[in-house]
Amino acid sequence: MTPDGTTYTFKIRRNLLWSDGKPVTAHDFVYSWQRLLDPKTAARYAYFLFPIKNAKAFNDTGSRVKDFAQVGAKAVDDYTLVVTLEKAMSYFPTLLTHSSTFPMRKDVVEKLGDKWTEPGNIVTNGPFLLEEWQHNYKLTLVRNDNYWGEKAKLRRIVGYMITEESSSLNLYETGKLDIMRGIPTSDIQRLKNTPDYYKIPLLAAYYYGFNVNKPPFNDPNVRKAFSAAIDREEICKALQGDQIPLTSWIPKGMLGYNPNVGIKFDPDKAVAYLKQAGYEKGDPRLQGITLAYNTNEGHKQVAENLQALWQKHLGVKVNIDNQEWKVFLDILHSIPAKPLASPHLFRMGWVGDYPDPDNFMNLFTSGSDNNHTGWKNSHFDKLIERAAVEIDPDVRLSLYNEAQRVLTEEEVPILPIYVYTTQKLIKPYVKGFQLNPLDEYYLDTIWVEAGS
Amino acid sequence: MGTYLVRRLGQSVITVWALVTLSFFLLKAVPGGPFDEDKQLPPEIKANIERKYNLHLPWYQQYFAYLGNLCEGDLGPSYKYLGRSVNDILADTFPVSLQLGLLSIALSFLIGIPLGMLAAYKQNTWVDTSAMFLAIAGVSLPSFLVGAILILIFAHALGWLPAALWEGPRYMILPAVTLGIRPAAIIARLTRSSMLDVIHSDYVRTARAKGLDELSVIAKHVLRNSLIPVITFSGPLIAGAVTGSFIVEHMFAIPGMGKHFITAVTNRDYTLIMGTTVVYGILLIGANIMVDFLYTIVDPRIKIR
Repeated sequence: MTPDGTTYTFKIRRNLLWSDGKPVTAHDFVYSWQRLLDPKTAARYAYFLFPIKNAKAFNDTGSRVKDFAQVGAKAVDDYTLVVTLEKAMSYFPTLLTHSSTFPMRKDVVEKLGDKWTEPGNIVTNGPFLLEEWQHNYKLTLVRNDNYWGEKAKLRRIVGYMITEESSSLNLYETGKLDIMRGIPTSDIQRLKNTPDYYKIPLLAAYYYGFNVNKPPFNDPNVRKAFSAAIDREEICKALQGDQIPLTSWIPKGMLGYNPNVGIKFDPDKAVAYLKQAGYEKGDPRLQGITLAYNTNEGHKQVAENLQALWQKHLGVKVNIDNQEWKVFLDILHSIPAKPLASPHLFRMGWVGDYPDPDNFMNLFTSGSDNNHTGWKNSHFDKLIERAAVEIDPDVRLSLYNEAQRVLTEEEVPILPIYVYTTQKLIKPYVKGFQLNPLDEYYLDTIWVEAGS
Repeated sequence: MGTYLVRRLGQSVITVWALVTLSFFLLKAVPGGPFDEDKQLPPEIKANIERKYNLHLPWYQQYFAYLGNLCEGDLGPSYKYLGRSVNDILADTFPVSLQLGLLSIALSFLIGIPLGMLAAYKQNTWVDTSAMFLAIAGVSLPSFLVGAILILIFAHALGWLPAALWEGPRYMILPAVTLGIRPAAIIARLTRSSMLDVIHSDYVRTARAKGLDELSVIAKHVLRNSLIPVITFSGPLIAGAVTGSFIVEHMFAIPGMGKHFITAVTNRDYTLIMGTTVVYGILLIGANIMVDFLYTIVDPRIKIR
């Protein structure tokens, strides 16, 4: 990295081989990124590379940048990749841990088209190779004996894609699976104390957003009152899914997680906030508030809990309304443009793409496509912008602390509710499984104890 | 017979066209699109995606393009499963559902018809009552309950059969039974009631009066005539069963086609919804034509003109 933070030079190991024996080169990265950014590929994750110079313009068919040579990603020689950014960005390397930015073989992709990912076609460089893939059903991986690093411990791994959690639990309990993720909520209490049970907080948060351009929520004090009136501990207990209550916004396990930030449950304070806004508890002007969520048992439970808490502590009757997912998204996306015709409150969640707080905090900046609240705050925007380019982690931390205070204590456009967790069952004879908050699987370190 | 077939095929083409047109425009009217996701995409990326799938064109161009491709047997790319065509997806999943469906239908005929005959033959005895009790239970029990009970007994308690997955003949038993119980029950009830009608008719009395033994009376005279309602019912039954069941496939983690009927809609995967609808429509029409031919075999009084 250059001192100004805008140019990165990556040296690629010389002993890296593709599964067909050819060396992995810087050109493979450049090709992969060019393909990701090519408007014809129409990749959803193209925006991962937008920090690179001219990358966003190259992806936009309406712009002048048509030649990839103008984009700031170049292979200087076979083993050197030089990346120039639009501006400094402290977390740029973490973006490159996302699978969409991994290298790719031009000859293979161009020869096979859409079929390049099929077993027998795909050329990879990881510790395992793809042997079999029945779409939406089954994947079989075999060890890559030409892997540059420490070889995987297991020779073969079979994975099934099972959408119904109780079905995988049945298979696990009848000994057909050794590892499974996602336990049905009704079984968590029963399995919680078995040695097989593992809980991992994810880099994912569940929240409610206020439609801040629709009265009464155009007043921050009303929003604060609604935040102080909810008991997040109680909600998580009712859900029985082992979730972690959250009053701030950056989830546990990430730089900037700070449980001391945010408005804690305090019914008296909630009423005081209402008074500051000029309302009494049970004020008739506060009736007829609508809350929207997408149809789902868990979401329903949260919505009903919120409804009960606001009724009890603020004397406000909230109408709850559920919609099928895509219809709900339609409503959600029209909130900023048509605030008065939209619901007052909506449920949403955010699952991290890369392990950096920017991925969470950036969400509520004025220019974010995912900020459905209609809230715009230039002070907050500036803090996030500064934190994104700041290299010193201590300075970043204090910037995020301040930004989180603006978001969840002063302005409160959202009500964080909890950090998602995922549950896994792992047979006691399976060793070396590394749990991580992005719920990624590092299969090369797993081994099975002898005699089982 | 030949002209009949031509006429029916002509009608079928029109029916399929109407089905396609209606589904196409109904889908456009449903709120939300395939690329609305929880993570809202930047506008330039969304524009790229819409261009890739020609969704930026006016609706009539999209419609005629779809019809044109359909005539060539091309159902288009899936919007949800990147790099896969609807033809690929159906080619992978339909054989699985077909296998399971045929198995369950065979099972339901093998159980349903004898059970119904027995009940009718022993009308108003304990045999009849218990057979009909079973049939009512079979009709009323939802398949997710039947499946769960079967898994509990045969996978958990006894450990004889796998609880899910699709890896060979042993894996087919529980889902086929789960899927077959309901049609078996319906067939048993249909067989019983139509057989009772036939049993009391004049020609059966004549056959008996001729001194024929009971077995030939039942097999030659009664059974054949009482099968008409069962055949009528089997048309839609077969079309439904071979295209898979969402619940059973979901529950047993079977890579069949049934689940796409539901998930394609929740994903707004337009082309996959159209594909499953067209395939189902063609199968249903085909099964009904087949039923018409079966009528003529069972009952010579029915003639196709």
